[in-house]
Amino acid sequence: MKTAGLIIVILAGAILLYATQDFPPWGAPDSPASTHVSPRYLQKSMEETAVPNVVTSVLADYRGFDTMFETSVIFCAGIGCFALLRIFRKKPEDRYYRHIATEITLHIKGGRIPEKSSEFERIDALWTPYDLIIKTVCRILVPFIQLFALYVIAHGHHSPGGGFQGGVILGASMILIAISYNMRTAIARISEKTDNLLMATGVFIYAGIGTLCLILGANFLDYSGLSTILFSGPIMARSHGIFGVEIGVGITVMAVMISIYNNLASEGKQDEGL
Amino acid sequence: MNDHYPALLIISPLLLAFIVSAMAWIRKGLCYPLAVVGSGLSAWFSVQLFATVLQKGTVDYRLGGWEAPWGIGYHVDTLNGMVLMVVSVLAFINLVATRKTVAAEFPEKEGAFYTLYLLFIVGLVGMTVTGDLFNLYVLLEVASLTSYSLIALGGGRAPLASLNYLYMGTIGGCFYLLGVGYLYIMTGSLNMADVASLLPAIYSSSAVWVAFTFCLVGVGVKMAFFPLHVWLPNAYSFAPSAVGSLIAPLMTKVMVYVMIRLMISVFSIDFTFSILKIGDPMVWLSTLAIVMGATLALAQKNLKRMFCYIIVSEIGYMVGGAWLGNASGMTGAMLHILNDALMTISLFLAAGNIYYRINGLEIAQLQGLFHRMPVTMACFVATGLSIIGVPPTCGFFSKWYLITGALEAGQYGFVGALLFSSLVNVILFFRVIEVSYYGDMQHAHGHGSPSEARAEAPAIMLVPLLILSAGLVVIGIYTGTIVNTVIDPVIPAALAR
Repeated sequence: MKTAGLIIVILAGAILLYATQDFPPWGAPDSPASTHVSPRYLQKSMEETAVPNVVTSVLADYRGFDTMFETSVIFCAGIGCFALLRIFRKKPEDRYYRHIATEITLHIKGGRIPEKSSEFERIDALWTPYDLIIKTVCRILVPFIQLFALYVIAHGHHSPGGGFQGGVILGASMILIAISYNMRTAIARISEKTDNLLMATGVFIYAGIGTLCLILGANFLDYSGLSTILFSGPIMARSHGIFGVEIGVGITVMAVMISIYNNLASEGKQDEGL
Repeated sequence: MNDHYPALLIISPLLLAFIVSAMAWIRKGLCYPLAVVGSGLSAWFSVQLFATVLQKGTVDYRLGGWEAPWGIGYHVDTLNGMVLMVVSVLAFINLVATRKTVAAEFPEKEGAFYTLYLLFIVGLVGMTVTGDLFNLYVLLEVASLTSYSLIALGGGRAPLASLNYLYMGTIGGCFYLLGVGYLYIMTGSLNMADVASLLPAIYSSSAVWVAFTFCLVGVGVKMAFFPLHVWLPNAYSFAPSAVGSLIAPLMTKVMVYVMIRLMISVFSIDFTFSILKIGDPMVWLSTLAIVMGATLALAQKNLKRMFCYIIVSEIGYMVGGAWLGNASGMTGAMLHILNDALMTISLFLAAGNIYYRINGLEIAQLQGLFHRMPVTMACFVATGLSIIGVPPTCGFFSKWYLITGALEAGQYGFVGALLFSSLVNVILFFRVIEVSYYGDMQHAHGHGSPSEARAEAPAIMLVPLLILSAGLVVIGIYTGTIVNTVIDPVIPAALAR
């Protein structure tokens, strides 16, 4: 079976390689890929969408419909992980508390000590003493990471970046908190409910902007239709529309990153974790 | 409003999916009604769109307002108009019919379930309506990802079955994407009509046939075409019943549609049959698929697994018909997309009703079922007759076209396989009917109190099944009209000569 599989893989690879002989030469300026549709993107992106970054204008405007579904794919992944991993427990679980003054650990079966107690702190089953350096460095870093993420989202018009990249950086900053402190600290910042609502909100913004264009009389996702409510010309409206959907993408990607991490790390309990 | 049907069709379930997912955290009770609204709107718009296409001819829609090769265009003719209607209406009927089983199986995750359900509809509808090769891939991803999660929600071995499906499905998706990539390198375009107009100049290039082969293999994995079917029986039989009756009838049919679309609208008939010359091998493979599917179905002791192997052989019908290379075969294949979707969903809904009452689907457990669930079993028999191909049910007519096409093409092996599978289907269904009609219930269960005697499924599960079974006969009777108005206009002239 293994040999058969190997033969098929080699055969498929050989066919793919064989076909490359008919490809246009590498980087040829007269190849179909660079003469058919791309010239318009390269030459007219600025005058048609007012976005200097061609990649952004192709992704979010010319082929913005694909990108909407790519965002939906990410949303599907988040919802899928939630549906498969999340476990709702009725029975209270064993919990561990640490008496801060004496450093004695209590193992409480079923019950709980009020979370806000100043004498006890709740710890995970696999608790190890926190490293002061890691905690402090991460705490200082997180706001800068988030600021950079916002920059990446906002500056997608002009430089590499945009909603996907910025969203991932935002999500990573929250995951960094979860890793350097513990999952409960991160969940206290963004609760599971907020996170799931954000997940839906992001893509809803994207599809909602598209629908708004449709309501205003243009085709679906034709941002120029927004010009009547944005008080700008149709070209600038496209640019603003792109920015709107980038924000939506950023929100969804961030929320999905956090949701998938929380569900995986806590084995679906959203309680204790790395 | 009328101009926007192609877009509304897909954004109504999409927007509602996001609302349902948020509503799961605010008011759980609203999830199901909102899902019904989303799916219902989609079904309504697809019917409207199909009516428009029948009256005014093909409908094109530019997304984002950009004209075709630069932006993404939707292109709806009678063929995908019909498939769109089948997909969205059947998904809606299934949503209504399986309300109770979903509520029982996923009490805490109803919101997530209906979100995935709606997104799955979005994926299938998007694949069918689009006129863009890459857009099709993106929607394929949406449909696949949601179907993996939905299947894995079933208990027991479902997660493992879904994982196997995920591996196979991802490989299939990659093959399709590689094919599209090669096409893009050779033509510089992703729009189907545009690619079709650019291709004739480079038909002799090896990159083009490699692109076609890779697309075909990718689609073949997704539709479970023999010998790429190994993921299907486990995935579909371990899935929750509401999911089985959604995915089993629709996913494979949409992939058959995609294959036909690639054959007739992207690569032309000239290329697929005259230049590539793979028509005969494809028909032989289909023959093998039909025979193997039928034989393996005979070996099954579980009702749902038996249905899964019937699907494998039905896929053989459609692929074989499409590759016969004449108008009758292609007509049969297109007609069978409609008929098989209806038959499969009826089978799976009937199985769902049975499972709801007796909590098992081993054929030996079905004893005395005619007495307990007469209406469900009557629908089951009607569907069985249609799959066997007894007139006036619709299954007869598509099989008739397929056999006519095979005789015209001189593919006697394919004719033999079709007849063989019909005979096997007779055995399969009469075996079930025998057990459930003549089998002694008291002997099997050791009890037979009057309260146990009648235990029909609730009306909400029964009425959709009755409608679908009636549909099998109605569509059978109107076959002539359907072929004339829907299928004939899209059969390429090159085939009809």
